[in-house]
Amino acid sequence: MNLAPYRKKSPWILHYNAGGCNGCDIEILACLSPKYDIERFGMINTGNPKQSDILLVTGPVTKRSRERLVEIYAQMPEPKVVISCGACASTGGVFRGMYNCEGGVDQFIPVDVYVCGCGTRPEQIIDGVVQALAILEKKTKGLEESVKLKKEAVKEGHQLNRRHIADEIKPVLT
Amino acid sequence: MKDVLIPVLLILLAPLLGGLLYGFERIVKARMQRRIGPPLLQPFYDFLKLADKRRMMVHSTHAFLGIMHFVSLWFALAVLLLGGDLVLVIFLHLLSTSLLILAGYSTRSVFSHLGANRAAISVLAYEPVLIIIAVSIFMLNGTFDTAAVFTGKEPLLYKMPLAFIALLLVLPIKLKKSPFDVAEAHQEITGGVELEFSGLFYEAVYTARWLDYIFCYTLVFLFAGSNILLGIGLVVFTFIYLNALDNSTARVSYKQMLRFSLGVAGTLAFINLLINSFS
Repeated sequence: MNLAPYRKKSPWILHYNAGGCNGCDIEILACLSPKYDIERFGMINTGNPKQSDILLVTGPVTKRSRERLVEIYAQMPEPKVVISCGACASTGGVFRGMYNCEGGVDQFIPVDVYVCGCGTRPEQIIDGVVQALAILEKKTKGLEESVKLKKEAVKEGHQLNRRHIADEIKPVLT
Repeated sequence: MKDVLIPVLLILLAPLLGGLLYGFERIVKARMQRRIGPPLLQPFYDFLKLADKRRMMVHSTHAFLGIMHFVSLWFALAVLLLGGDLVLVIFLHLLSTSLLILAGYSTRSVFSHLGANRAAISVLAYEPVLIIIAVSIFMLNGTFDTAAVFTGKEPLLYKMPLAFIALLLVLPIKLKKSPFDVAEAHQEITGGVELEFSGLFYEAVYTARWLDYIFCYTLVFLFAGSNILLGIGLVVFTFIYLNALDNSTARVSYKQMLRFSLGVAGTLAFINLLINSFS
């Protein structure tokens, strides 16, 4: 029996904030409200990685949250898709290059759909989820690994920190 | 023959009926919040989707306890519908709940342990009230058999209205509805004991919830005796009451829940027992 068509009828969403400003999170919660009501597509905000299909990540990945992000991704059973919600999750946004941030989500886990905007609009999030469902239907139950587990660790001094930024400014001031 | 046919059909179709009821409840809840809500068959879509996920389990005992929770709950429902001993039914239900609590304790997850603790406290809150109600029924009928209740001429509701109110007060604890949903507490401990179940094994726990709906509404139906119209009225009233309560209240702490259920619902049921034994 082919059960793949039922995947898009009940996508359960796991929402994770990797260290953003909560702007996108508010918009995700707005999707659940009476105006947008994504539950009419059968979506539930579960909060439990072991029972969810879609990982919605918001915010840039901070150095503290990257291990948790990879852990949560590894706990989700396949088939699963990842949506990076907002400019920060997709590229790092305004936090890119800061001493405490690693940048976009796709450095650590494979991202299927990028949703732009700062913060994203609920319409955009719903559109992104609908695109993710088309991908989810084609996915197999094969094991998916995070990018981070395959890649070597980020070297020390790879990121800019406050002192580096200050070094650049110094000659201009004197 | 006809007396057996309807209960057996009900028992066999109980997961289907429970799923439909759960789907309908989700629509009603959404309409109360001025939303459209999911389709009626949404629980079955969830069921089919969960069957398609990659199989993952913590350890085999954990998965086995989850499945046995479903089986023993179905057995408890069968005994209730076939007119068995009410005390036996209540303890079989307790057995199925305790299997799930054991499953919660068998993993190393903190949330799972916390959920199991809270589920055990919930049992402590509703179980004494249910047993007092069962003893009141014994005082009236002289037997614990539910068959005597289903064939009784006068509905139990007229003889023991206080017990019905007590049942209404403890049903939200049993069905894990707000304000007494500390055991489940989604987004706080994300499902509690259900946390570590996934894919095919979560289905056992998910469908057991549908059976729980049928079990609880049968308990409500019990108060109407052989009067089927009154029974349907009571079930519809309880359904609307539970959903309105779920939508309009916030979660209370487990101490408040315990104090309320043993203090208010327990006292009501006990007064009812005294009235029934001395009248």
